[in-house]
Amino acid sequence: MLMDRYNIWQKIGIYAAILVFLTFILLPFVEMFRTSLSPMSHLFHSPYEFWTTEFSFQAYHDMWIKVPLLGRYILNSIYVATMVTVLTMIFVIPAAYAYARLEFPFKSISLGAFLAVNMFTGAVLLIPLYRVMQTLSLLNTYWSMIIPGVAFLIPTGIWLLRGYLEKIPRELEEAAFVDGASRIYTLRRVVLPLAVPGLIVVGVSVFIGAYAQQYLFAITFNQVREYQPLAAGLFEFIGYQSVEWNQMMAAALTGILPVIIVFLFLQKYLVAGLTAGAVKE
Amino acid sequence: MATLNLQNITKSFGASQVLKGIDLAIKDKEFVVFVGPSGCGKSTLLRIVAGLEEATSGAIVIEGTDVSALAPVDRGISMVFQSYALYPHLTVFENIAFPLRVQKLPETEVKSKVAKAAEILQLTEKLQLKPGQLSGGQRQRVAIGRSIVRNPKIFLFDEPLSNLDAALRGDMRVELSQLHRDLAATMIYVTHDQVEAMTMAHRIVVLNAGKVEQFGTPMELYHHPATRFVATFIGQPNMNLVPAKVLGYDTRGLAVELDGGAQLTLPVDGAAAKKGDRIEVGMRPENIHLGQGLSMKVRVLERLGGTSITYGHMDNGQRFCAALPGDADVAEGQTVDLSINPADCHVFDASGAVLRRLMAPALAA
Ligand SMILES: Nc1ncnc2c1ncn2[C@@H]1O[C@H](COP(=O)(O)OP(=O)(O)OP(=O)(O)O)[C@@H](O)[C@H]1O
Ligand SMILES: [Mg+2]
Repeated sequence: MLMDRYNIWQKIGIYAAILVFLTFILLPFVEMFRTSLSPMSHLFHSPYEFWTTEFSFQAYHDMWIKVPLLGRYILNSIYVATMVTVLTMIFVIPAAYAYARLEFPFKSISLGAFLAVNMFTGAVLLIPLYRVMQTLSLLNTYWSMIIPGVAFLIPTGIWLLRGYLEKIPRELEEAAFVDGASRIYTLRRVVLPLAVPGLIVVGVSVFIGAYAQQYLFAITFNQVREYQPLAAGLFEFIGYQSVEWNQMMAAALTGILPVIIVFLFLQKYLVAGLTAGAVKE
Repeated sequence: MATLNLQNITKSFGASQVLKGIDLAIKDKEFVVFVGPSGCGKSTLLRIVAGLEEATSGAIVIEGTDVSALAPVDRGISMVFQSYALYPHLTVFENIAFPLRVQKLPETEVKSKVAKAAEILQLTEKLQLKPGQLSGGQRQRVAIGRSIVRNPKIFLFDEPLSNLDAALRGDMRVELSQLHRDLAATMIYVTHDQVEAMTMAHRIVVLNAGKVEQFGTPMELYHHPATRFVATFIGQPNMNLVPAKVLGYDTRGLAVELDGGAQLTLPVDGAAAKKGDRIEVGMRPENIHLGQGLSMKVRVLERLGGTSITYGHMDNGQRFCAALPGDADVAEGQTVDLSINPADCHVFDASGAVLRRLMAPALAA
């Protein structure tokens, strides 16, 4: 289309802006990767040297020996985040549908309340939550990390998914209703299949949220080493004498690798989902 | 027998009353069209019949049973939506089969019913495609297919052809009339296209601002419009309304003087009219021909081949339109002399109600 054409200066400007943006986002990862490749001696070299001939993947080997439970930590992270995502979606889907389609008392007030609750970060509520976990005898279990995770992610999930569900034409549901379909049947056979891009976007953002916040719950509610997620497990690279920075960075990168791979596969849906319904098809 | 009776249906959205007491008795196997200007409540009324919307008051009676409290599927109706409302992720087969899947019919029965519907609608080749791969007319047929597999007693259509281009609309109109004959079901059809209304309907309901203006056959509406609104709504180009004054009433009819000065004696029932009353004389453009008595300055001339339509105004500035037969000998900018057979005139009183025509053409059965 004509309106998509930019002249050369506009293009240069656009790419320059993208470059700056990406630099900010990606530089920490570059530094992590560089650190993970460097031997410890080089890391503390003064003056700072970006490049060295001594780069090696040694740390990616040594980290498993230094922290024997590393594999377990990585799996824990993925397990907890996955459980949080699945449970959150189970709660979010019917709730978001109700907010998108049904009329009930206190609808907008409760929706606003959800947003307000979101403003309290987990940190403020840690102590009351600790008491709750204690009362329910959930301390030092996977559930102590999963349940608060779910609770904190439901509101955002509802807000996000509601937007997607509202974009599905009401007439489709009315047609199903006229043909005798119940709400649940319509949700399952008409609404959810059409909301797949939205479900993926919401699922992914819940997963990211769960992955990021589990650290806080892990160090507060869980003392069992075997249940720790990666973020908490990384502490084991901090020794009494020294910190194995290169191994720690290697472990962190290895830990997020599976997640990155999954995201690369979902990317196509993410882009489609974020713009779905923007134009009449 | 699928009769439909609407009894004093009203509907309010908040403070605004959209339907103001609708009473209709629709006969078995009848094809009834709701027409009216945008926003007059056609869709709302149809959705109330369907059970998608609850009436504020009144009763919906199908085959003698009050169904007001029943779900759509229990009323024995099915509905075709303006946007087709096809499920984009399902194949044509599954779209048509949807109501049967809801009923959990056995697979063999689903297959045979869908196959039958597909055959009627010439969709057999397309059953494995998704709606996105179909043309507008085919999508419309899928939507109709979904409504016929359930064998409903009453079909409801909300402007089903408005998304199609003119040529396709013509074809679908014929197909729908054909379908109505084949299914022998009661159909209610909403449109604001008066050609659709006139050609397809057994009877037409003209709605205006939430009230029924008139309910009658197309020819009744054309020859005996009950109100000024119906008169101007039905017929293309629109009827001319010329303000006039009553001079008197006798056995020959109502003597009137048009505001332009011309005097006419119109064969209408003017017993209630008094000398000096303000009235309006309705003249359909197609009833006007070259002659004497009325004169008009032609501003725009449209030659359609069969007719020549002139738009312009009379001496006193009154806007006027005439549809003259054939290549009438007129030109833009010219003043032409016209006349009308007094028996073809309609007369409306100040409230907009018609004075009954006494010499109107007999209605075809
Ligand atoms: N859900 C609703 N809430 C409030 N007002 C409504 C609602 N649905 C319809 N209306 C109002 O009711 C009136 C009639 O609407 P309706 O859709 O029945 O008109 P229509 O005759 O079908 O018009 P169109 O030819 O444009 O489809 C309109 O003024 C509309 O604004
Ligand atoms: Mg409508």
